[in-house]
Amino acid sequence: MPEIRVTPLGAGQDVGRSCILVSIAGKNVMLDCGMHMGFNDDRRFPDFSYITQNGRLTDFLDCVIISHFHLDHCGALPYFSEMVGYDGPIYMTHPTQAICPILLEDYRKIAVDKKGEANFFTSQMIKDCMKKVVAVHLHQTVQVDDELEIKAYYAGHVLGAAMFQIKVGSESVVYTGDYNMTPDRHLGAAWIDKCRPNLLITESTYATTIRDSKRCRERDFLKKVHETVERGGKVLIPVFALGRAQELCILLETFWERMNLKVPIYFSTGLTEKANHYYKLFIPWTNQKIRKTFVQRNMFEFKHIKAFDRAFADNPGPMVVFATPGMLHAGQSLQIFRKWAGNEKNMVIMPGYCVQGTVGHKILSGQRKLEMEGRQVLEVKMQVEYMSFSAHADAKGIMQLVGQAEPESVLLVHGEAKKMEFLKQKIEQELRRQLAWAACTETPQHPCRHLAGAAEAGDGLLPEAKKPRLLHGTLIMKDSNFRLVSSEQALKELGLAEHQLRFTCRVHLHDTRKEQETALRVYSHLKSILKDHCVQHLPDGSVTVESILIQAAAPSEDPGTKVLLVSWTYQDEELGSFLTSLLKKGLPQALS
Amino acid sequence: MDLECSRLLPALCAVLVDPRQPVADDTCLEKLLDWFKTVTEGESSLLLLQEHPCLVELLSHVLKLQDLSPGVLSFSLRVAGIFAAQENCFQYLQVGSLLFSQPGGAPGLRLLSAPPFFLSSPAPCPGAVDTIFSLQGDSSLFVASAASQLLVHILALSMRGGAKEQPCLQGDDWPTCAQKIMGHVEESLCSTVTPKVTQALNILTTTFGRCQSPWTEALWVRLSASVACLLERDPIPAAHSLVDLLLCVARSPVFGSSNGSLWEMVAQALSCLGPAHVGPLALGILKLEHCPQALRTQAFQVLLQPLACVLKATVQAPGPLGLLDGMADDAMMVDALLASKSSCAGLLCRTLAHLEELQPLPQRPSPWPQAPLLGAAVTVLRLCDGSATPVSSVGGHLCATLAGCVRVQRAALDFLGMLSQGTSPQELVTQALAVLLECLKSPGSSPTVLKKAFQATLRWLLSSPKTSSCSDLGPHIPQFLRELFLVLQKRLCSPCWEVRDSALEFLTQLSRHWGGEADFRCALLASEVPELAWQLLQDPESYVRASAVTATGQLSSWGLHDPTSPQHAVARQSLLRELLRILSADSEGFPRRAVMQVFTEWLRDGHADVTRDTEQFVATVLQVASRDLDWEVRVQGLELALVFLGQTLGPPHTHCPYAVALPEAAPARPLTEALRALCHVGLFDFAFRALFDCDRPVAQKSCDLLLFLRDKIASYNSLREASPNTDSVEAAPWRWRAHEQTQPQEDQEPEAVLAMLRSLDLEGLQSTLAESSDHVEKSPQSLLQDMLATGGFLQGDEADCY
Repeated sequence: MPEIRVTPLGAGQDVGRSCILVSIAGKNVMLDCGMHMGFNDDRRFPDFSYITQNGRLTDFLDCVIISHFHLDHCGALPYFSEMVGYDGPIYMTHPTQAICPILLEDYRKIAVDKKGEANFFTSQMIKDCMKKVVAVHLHQTVQVDDELEIKAYYAGHVLGAAMFQIKVGSESVVYTGDYNMTPDRHLGAAWIDKCRPNLLITESTYATTIRDSKRCRERDFLKKVHETVERGGKVLIPVFALGRAQELCILLETFWERMNLKVPIYFSTGLTEKANHYYKLFIPWTNQKIRKTFVQRNMFEFKHIKAFDRAFADNPGPMVVFATPGMLHAGQSLQIFRKWAGNEKNMVIMPGYCVQGTVGHKILSGQRKLEMEGRQVLEVKMQVEYMSFSAHADAKGIMQLVGQAEPESVLLVHGEAKKMEFLKQKIEQELRRQLAWAACTETPQHPCRHLAGAAEAGDGLLPEAKKPRLLHGTLIMKDSNFRLVSSEQALKELGLAEHQLRFTCRVHLHDTRKEQETALRVYSHLKSILKDHCVQHLPDGSVTVESILIQAAAPSEDPGTKVLLVSWTYQDEELGSFLTSLLKKGLPQALS
Repeated sequence: MDLECSRLLPALCAVLVDPRQPVADDTCLEKLLDWFKTVTEGESSLLLLQEHPCLVELLSHVLKLQDLSPGVLSFSLRVAGIFAAQENCFQYLQVGSLLFSQPGGAPGLRLLSAPPFFLSSPAPCPGAVDTIFSLQGDSSLFVASAASQLLVHILALSMRGGAKEQPCLQGDDWPTCAQKIMGHVEESLCSTVTPKVTQALNILTTTFGRCQSPWTEALWVRLSASVACLLERDPIPAAHSLVDLLLCVARSPVFGSSNGSLWEMVAQALSCLGPAHVGPLALGILKLEHCPQALRTQAFQVLLQPLACVLKATVQAPGPLGLLDGMADDAMMVDALLASKSSCAGLLCRTLAHLEELQPLPQRPSPWPQAPLLGAAVTVLRLCDGSATPVSSVGGHLCATLAGCVRVQRAALDFLGMLSQGTSPQELVTQALAVLLECLKSPGSSPTVLKKAFQATLRWLLSSPKTSSCSDLGPHIPQFLRELFLVLQKRLCSPCWEVRDSALEFLTQLSRHWGGEADFRCALLASEVPELAWQLLQDPESYVRASAVTATGQLSSWGLHDPTSPQHAVARQSLLRELLRILSADSEGFPRRAVMQVFTEWLRDGHADVTRDTEQFVATVLQVASRDLDWEVRVQGLELALVFLGQTLGPPHTHCPYAVALPEAAPARPLTEALRALCHVGLFDFAFRALFDCDRPVAQKSCDLLLFLRDKIASYNSLREASPNTDSVEAAPWRWRAHEQTQPQEDQEPEAVLAMLRSLDLEGLQSTLAESSDHVEKSPQSLLQDMLATGGFLQGDEADCY
C-alpha cells in the first residue's frame, strides 16, 4: 500500500502559517498557505525550502488547496505563487476566491504601514495569484489530473470555508482546515459524508475545550454594549474586514431592532458594502435561516449599521463603531482608540486575540499606560473587554466529525502535544474506536499507519461493511456517540414510553342485521380463513386478529349498510391490508 | 542594553523559570532571542553576563527544572548558544557539561554551531558526536537537519584546527573527531538503507558547499570511490541528493577543471541516472563555468533528448531540421515519455523549464539550436491542442497522452515566449505565431493557458524587427494583427473574468508599445476592441473594471478611440466623465486606483482633455480623491498633486551633489498667481487633511509634498513674510487634524497658507512618519513589558486572532 506522508511547512504547534504538504501515492498536494501575524520578517511565511529543494515547485507540486480566506490559511499565497514561483493550479471555493483578495489587501495595507517590509507582494501580485485559482463547488468532484481528485465539503467557520477530500486511486486524505460543528447566526454546521479516508487531518485548536454556550457569550456581549451606550459611552470593536465582523453585525442589528435602539452603529472604511455584497452573493453558503428568509429580508442589508466617516469619531453622545484592523495595529481602529481611550465611559471590545507587538495585545494584558509616538503616554481609562467569537470545533465537535467521516487514522494539527493526547484518548474512549493517530507538533513527517477494521460499537447489531444486510433498529445518538440497538433496548436505555401508531380504514358492508350480529359474522369468516392467526371475539363485540381491531357500526342514515372500522399497527401492516381487502369483498353468502 | 531593559530583565527571567507563569505567545520568545542576538553583537557578551547575573541563573535553573515548557527550554539553550559563541563567555558559562544533557532538542544542537574552541581539545565531549549521529535519524526533520548541519560544522572546525599543513589523503593524521565523522559517512554511503545514504550525501554536499579549503579535496579523493559505487547500484539510491553532491563538488573552486575522475563520474551519472534526475544534473553542468567540452556536449544531448523524441515522432522525413539528428533515442527517455500521462507531462515540463532557464545564459551551448527548439515548442503545443500529425506509434501515443494537457501547454508557452529573443527563420516565426493564434482561438484553452499565450504573443510581437519605415511592422504582422484582434474581441467577451482581464492587460501592453504604429492603429480601429474595452468599464468584476480603466486610458492617450462614435471628441470627453464617475462611485478600490493612475499619467503627458482646463481637472479629481476611503487612491491623489505642483512651480530640485548645476528654469508664472492656482484647485486643503491621515503612507506622501512646496517657495526670495492673523494660522492645521475642516475652503489666501506651512514642523513629522507604525510596540522594552504583563492572561486563545 502506498505511503501517505504529511509534512507541515508552517509551524506545527503554534497557530498561524497553516501549510501542510501531503504526499499521497506519488502526488504532492499543499494544503493551505498561511502566514503568521506575529512576525514582520521571513518567519511570517511557511518554510518553503523543504519543497524548493526538490527542484521546480510547479513540477513538484500537483496542486495547492486553500480551505478558507483567513490569513493564517491563505496569507502567504501571493508570496508563494508570485515570488517563490509556484505556477500550478490553486483550488478554493467560490466565496473564498472572491473574498481572499480583500483580506490580502487588508494585510498588505498593514504591512505597508509598518516600514521596512521588504519581500512583500503587491496588488498586481495578488491579482495574478487569484487568476491561478480554480474555484470549486461543494460536493463537486474535481479531477486535478488523471489520478488526483479533490472534493469540497461544507465546514462552517467562515463564509466559503471547506474541508477537502484528496483522493488518488483507493487512497484518500481528508483535510478539515478550520471548521465548526455548531451553526451560528449566519453559517451552518460542518458536514462530511462517511467517506472513510485513510487519514483525517483535523485542526485541534480547542482540543481540550468544551466551549461554553455561545448564547451566553452573545448575551454578555450585547449586555456590555447596551450598558455602555445607555450611560452615554462609545463602544469600539476592532475587527478584520470579514468573518467575525459580519456575525457581530447581525447580532447587534437584531438586538437594536428588538430593543428599538436609536444609538448609531458604524462600520469603518466602506467594508460593510463590500463584505455584505459577498455575503449576499453567496447566500447558499449561509445557514438555513438566512437562506429561507433572504427573499423577504436580506440579513446583510443592515438597517442600523451605517458607513463610518472619520469625522464621526468626535461626535458627542454614544455610538458603536466597528473599525479595522482587528488588533489595533495601525489605521482607523487605532486612531479611534486614541481618541476614546481617555474616557472611562467608553469601552473597547476585542473580539479576538492580539499578537504581541500591537496595542491590542498591550491593553488585553492589562497595561493601562501606553507609550505612544513621540514619547507621549496615553492613559487608558476606557473599559477593555475580551470576548472570543471564533468558530472552531471543540473536543466534542472534533469527535463528531471523526464519527461522521470514519477515518482509519487521524492526524491532529494546530494544537499542543498534551491537548492532542487528551483528545486521542477521548476519541478512543467515546467512539470505541481504535485510531491510529499522530500528533503533528514539530515532527514534519508521518508515514501513515493503516489499521485494519476498526472495532464497531453496539450490541453486535452492525453488519460487516462488506456483507450488507437489512437491519431494523434504533439509532441512538448520545454524547456524540452513535449506536444502533433494538427498539426495546432503546426505550429501556432512554427511559421512554412507547407510542403506538395505528392505521385505520372503513369498509362498507351491505348488511341489514344489527351491528353485534355483523361482528359475529366477521369473526366466523375470519376464523375460518386465518387458521394460523389468533382471532378473537371480545365481549364488547369487537373482533381482533393479532393487533388488528375490527368494530362494526351502523351509520344512522342507511340502516341497510354497516361500516367496519379496521385499525392496525404498522408492525402488522401486511396483515391489516390483507384483511381490509378481504372484507371489502364482502361476507360469504352461506353465513348470511 | 538600555537601562529600562536592564531593569526589567531580572523580573522576566524569574517569569521564564516559573512553570506556573505562562509566557505570552510563541513569537515573544523568538523576538526575545532576536534581541539577545542584536545586543551581543553590539556589546561584550561577557560584560552582559557579568552585569546581569539573572541570565546565568536562568540558564542554570532551566536545567534543573523537570516540568519546564519545551518552548522555554529551547529558548534558554539557544540563549546559551548565543553567549557561548564567544570564548570568554563559553568559559564563563562552562556549559560544556550541559550541552548534551537535553536529548533531542534541535535548539540545543544549534548551540554548538559556533564555538571553535569547543572542539580544540581532542575529545571535547565523550559521546557527543555519537549522539549527533543518532539524531540524524530523528523523526523530526528539524532535529535531523540541525544534526547534519552540526556534523558539517564540527568536521570543518576540527579540520581547520587540526590539519595545519596539506592533509594526508589517507586521513591518518586527521583529528580524531574528523576521522570519526568520515568513518560514519563512509559507512553510511555503503549502507543499503536509502535514508542513511541520503544523510551521508547531504553532509558531503553541505561540506563542499561551505568549505573551500584544500582539505576538502583530500576528503573527496577519499570518498569518491564510495560515491561512484552508488552509481553502479540498481536502482541508484538517493539520486536527488547524489545529483546535488556531484554539482556541488563540480562547482567548488578547490577542484580544478582538470579533475578527470570527477568528470568521469559525472559523465557516468549522466548516462545511468533516470530521466527525473538527469535533467537537473545536465542543466547544472551546462551552467558551470569550467567543464570539459565533451561533458557539456553530453549534458546538452541529455537535455535535448525528450524534445528530440517528440520531433522525431511527429515530423515527416525529410522534414525540417530535427534535434540530435542521427542519434539513437535514449530508451529510458522514451519509456518515460510513454509510461503514463503524468510521467510524460512531468518530463516535458522539466525539460522545457530547464531549456528556458538556459536560453538567456551567456554560457549556454553554442551553437544554440534555435530553429529546431522553436520547431519542438510548436510541435509540443500542437500535440497539446490535437493538431499534430504523428508519423510513428510513439507519435500516436504522444498525441493521445498530451491532448489537452494544460501543464505542458503552460510550460511550452513560457518556453516559446523565451525563444522570441533569438533569431529564427521566417517560416518558423510564422508557425510560432500561428500556433499562438490557434491557442488563443481554441475554445478549450483554460484561463491560465490563455494568459501565458497572451504573454508569449506579446513577447513575439515586441521582439519582431521593425522595418526602416517606422509605421511598418514587417510583412506578416498586419495580417496577424487583424486576426489577433478578432480573437481579442472574442476573449474580451469571455464569461471568465480571468480571461477578460488577461485580454485587457495584453491590449494595454501592446498599445503602450505600438500605439504610434500605423499598422497597429489601423488594425485596432478596424476592430471592435476599443468599443469592447469601453464596455468593460462596467464589468461586474472589479479587477476587470480596473484593467479596462487602464486599457481605455492608454488607448485614449494615443487617440485610439472608437471611430464608430459619431463625434470623436465627444467620445473622448465622455471617457473623462466615465472615469470620474468610476472614481467617485465605484464600490471597489482597484478601479478607483486605476483611474487615479490614468489621470496622473494624463496630467504628466499633457493629455488633450486635461490641458483644455487643467485647473478644473485637478480641482475635480482632488476633491473626489480626498474623500476616498481607499488609502492608495489618496496616495495617488497626492502623486497627481505633486505632478501639478511641478508643472505650476517648476520641477523638483536635483539634490545630486555631482550634477551639473543648470540655471534655474524660469518659473512658469509669478508665485502669487501660482499659489492662488494651488489654492483654487484645493491642493492645500487636500494635502493638510492628508497630513493627518490615519494611514501612514498617505500622511508621509503629504509630508513630502508639503516639504517640496516649502522648499520651492523658499527659492522665491521676493516673497514677503506675511502672516495676516497668527492665531488663526496656528490653529488651522489642528482643525484638519480634528477633522473639523470638513468642507474644502475655497477662499484660502496664499499668504495664510504659506504662514501655515511655515508653522508646521514638517521635518519632525517626516522623521516620525518614516518610522514603522508599530515602532513603539516593537521596541525591546515594549516586548519585555508585554511578556511581564502577560502572566496568566489569555492562554490558548491565539487561534482567535484569525
